[in-house]
Amino acid sequence: MDERDLRLDGNHAAGMLSEVFQFEMSSEWAGCANCGARNQLGAMEAYAHGMGAVLCCPGCGQIVLRVARGGGRWWLDLRGMAWLQLDEGAWLLE
Amino acid sequence: MGRLSWQVAQIAEVRPETRRVASLFLDVPGWDGHQAGQHVDLRLTAEDGYQAERSYSIASPPDGRRLELTVERLEDGEVSPYLVGEAHQGDRVELRGPIGGYFVWRPELGGPLLLVAGGSGVVPLMAMLRHRAATASRVPTRLLYSSRTLEDVIYRDELERLAAADESLTVIHTLTRAQPTGWQGSARRIDAALLKEVGWGPEQRPLAYVCGPTRLVEAVASDLVTLGHDPFRVRTERFGPTGVQ
Repeated sequence: MDERDLRLDGNHAAGMLSEVFQFEMSSEWAGCANCGARNQLGAMEAYAHGMGAVLCCPGCGQIVLRVARGGGRWWLDLRGMAWLQLDEGAWLLE
Repeated sequence: MGRLSWQVAQIAEVRPETRRVASLFLDVPGWDGHQAGQHVDLRLTAEDGYQAERSYSIASPPDGRRLELTVERLEDGEVSPYLVGEAHQGDRVELRGPIGGYFVWRPELGGPLLLVAGGSGVVPLMAMLRHRAATASRVPTRLLYSSRTLEDVIYRDELERLAAADESLTVIHTLTRAQPTGWQGSARRIDAALLKEVGWGPEQRPLAYVCGPTRLVEAVASDLVTLGHDPFRVRTERFGPTGVQ
């Protein structure tokens, strides 16, 4: 098994992101700050483990989003994201 | 209103599907329904407080009475060996969901549909097929499903029944490791030639959903794009390094 086998879809991080955002994030669109490609978060390449997840641009591989949980806090690193579009219709209701 | 939270579900039934796969039927109080293709995160907590969390695709259609998860047992797994083998009726697990708005299908999204599964990757696609049948949708659909052996095919009888009752649905199996005597079907891993042979041509602009182990999903998605399919109409759900097809 190599690193490639561990790759998942952004979809897998959707549960974790739903604890941070009030939107269903896997269907939301974002732009890569490196190459400009626009993709839904669910279509991005993801690496995930218990503490967090990393989403990468499927076009150029650049890290677009990092999210981690620890010590009673959530950490978000969005340096690789040029923009994020949130659809009002994707508001999560309980 | 707000973010998803964990809730307790009770196992109402455990149904073996194959040697390594079982379906869990769950009662989830206050479950608001889901879309075909969505998943849940499932969390187990040990007596010492250690928690393990995994994602599992929902197999039941949106109108299902109970939430059904079909789970493959991974021998070195932390969660699946409990779910397939130890879990019993009445046990409680924690769930968060439904999750995901990307890998979902609704009849109004249309088709034609090209569903490609490797092993237990068939689970979210089954939710789509069940939803399609329940809504009497006749969106032309082909399921290309790769399994190791005939005994490893999940939902084999139900797929046969669905296809027999519906001319607009075709199920194509490929058995990669062993084939029964007289097997007329395909006996190799899914490749570009097989996709070209049984899938829709790019000019028909199919909506493709590909689910299974990461290597299979990436190979199929790449083959589809090489064959001329629009990458934005190829949706993938990688399971990670689970199982070998």
